[in-house]
Amino acid sequence: MSDQIQTEIKPNSIVVNDVTVTFDTVKGEYTAIKNISLEVKKGEIVSIIGHSGCGKSTLMATISGMVNPTTGTVEANGNLVKGPGPDRGIVFQNYSLLPWLSVFENVFQAVDAVLKDISQDHKKEIVMKNLEMVNLLQHKDKKPGQLSGGMKQRVAIARAFSINPSILLLDEPFGALDALTKGTMHVELLKLWNLDNRNKTIVMVTHDIDEAIFLSDKVIVMNNGPAATIKEIVDIPIARPRNKKDITHDPEYINTKEKLTGLLFEKLSIND
Amino acid sequence: MKSQAYHILFLDDSWWMRTIRATFYFAGGCMIIGLLWTIISINSYDASMETHLIPSITTTFEKCKIVFDQPFRTTDNEFDSGIFWVIWSSIKRVSLGFLYASLVGVPIGILMGSNKMVANILNPMVQILRPVSPLVWLILAMYVIRKVPESNLFMIFITCIWPTIINTSFGVASIPEDYKNVSKAYNFSVWKYVTKIVLPFATPHIITGMRLSIGIAWMVIVAGEMLSGANGIGFFAWNSYNSQEIDSIIISIFIIGLVGVLLDKLFDFLHKSFAYESK
Repeated sequence: MSDQIQTEIKPNSIVVNDVTVTFDTVKGEYTAIKNISLEVKKGEIVSIIGHSGCGKSTLMATISGMVNPTTGTVEANGNLVKGPGPDRGIVFQNYSLLPWLSVFENVFQAVDAVLKDISQDHKKEIVMKNLEMVNLLQHKDKKPGQLSGGMKQRVAIARAFSINPSILLLDEPFGALDALTKGTMHVELLKLWNLDNRNKTIVMVTHDIDEAIFLSDKVIVMNNGPAATIKEIVDIPIARPRNKKDITHDPEYINTKEKLTGLLFEKLSIND
Repeated sequence: MKSQAYHILFLDDSWWMRTIRATFYFAGGCMIIGLLWTIISINSYDASMETHLIPSITTTFEKCKIVFDQPFRTTDNEFDSGIFWVIWSSIKRVSLGFLYASLVGVPIGILMGSNKMVANILNPMVQILRPVSPLVWLILAMYVIRKVPESNLFMIFITCIWPTIINTSFGVASIPEDYKNVSKAYNFSVWKYVTKIVLPFATPHIITGMRLSIGIAWMVIVAGEMLSGANGIGFFAWNSYNSQEIDSIIISIFIIGLVGVLLDKLFDFLHKSFAYESK
């Protein structure tokens, strides 16, 4: 199959249709995001970027089903999203590993809960395979408290991959990692995506422009909240496979970075 | 500059030095208590009764030998059995009442902690009943059940249930959103949510509640046995008073204190072994 044919037959993986989310707070109603519409194709990697408090995570939560839209609808794989589901694997901002369970158990419990109909041995096999993919097999009996931040994030990713979701949702997944570990994790993530023949749709919330460009096919730039909307959707026309080192010299990369920086820091540059 | 000897004696952190220091401090404490006891004893001479109201350390020690003679002896009359069985009878009663209270209190606590409505309904009841002295429940139970040991058991059950419910529900209610989200995102069944998230997170809190329970229960059982005449260490103390054996009362004080410390240490140990490293 050539790339061209693939792009032609790619169906929509996620459709966000005129979504508004309003929270009831003590001080009254607070609208986090307003009238957001968005389409993500199967196998695409999309980043949502914006300043803190712009509703990136809220938009993400409507896709994961953790938050129900006040108005509008979200569809994942053609089905209306009513709550979290095993077709959407989530990697949380702060890893959210259960500290009393070993690395193995953390992944196993997710597999056990989602893939109910397969044998215990098969479940264990899946866990081992996924831990091997993220290079954590030798640490499988450790508790999360004994792991570094990067290792914890790899466990969280292995957990999300192990239930084999068609959509992977990452909420600021590498925010707490140092620059070097972050770089390694980007490559690891793309490796996992490639291993799966680039069939998984990945949506990621981030506030790191370089990260967004390196990983994504599309970058969604959000306006500042409250009642945040989409400011612009920027395509990243850089061919894959991308190389962490070479990409920084790519003129497309430099252009895109300038464009995104402009979109995010408009106000600052005027005031300066 | 502090001398090297000072460092070894007071700052060295090896297990041996810590144990030796603790032993010396304990011995120091014992000496102070012994001194106070002796002073009080000497000054408690009652001329009309021609005796010391507070017996001296030596007379108490002599009595100790008698009390602890054949501690495991059994006779047809349970009130005349060895001191071990007397203590055991109280411990058994406390443990059993505590066990029943845990079996009932932990599930109620989990329900209250995980469901706001249940919490709102039950919380005022718990708040009103918690400060009531369990001895009131004892006399009520004596009237209804009409059996002394069972009434005491019921009293301990009531004593233990409030701290267990309160701490369990607090523990469950404070489960971080993060862990709940994991359960939601990965479709955990209710059973998996309870056994893999609720219980592991709440266990340290539950054990804290149990530790409080058993401490109060151990105090209450003494009063309960005195009031109701159930065999046990409380009855032993009361009986000593009735037969004017003041040295036995003092002995019972030490026994109650030591058993209380042991029970507390047991739960402290449990608490430490169930604590997990967070994040």
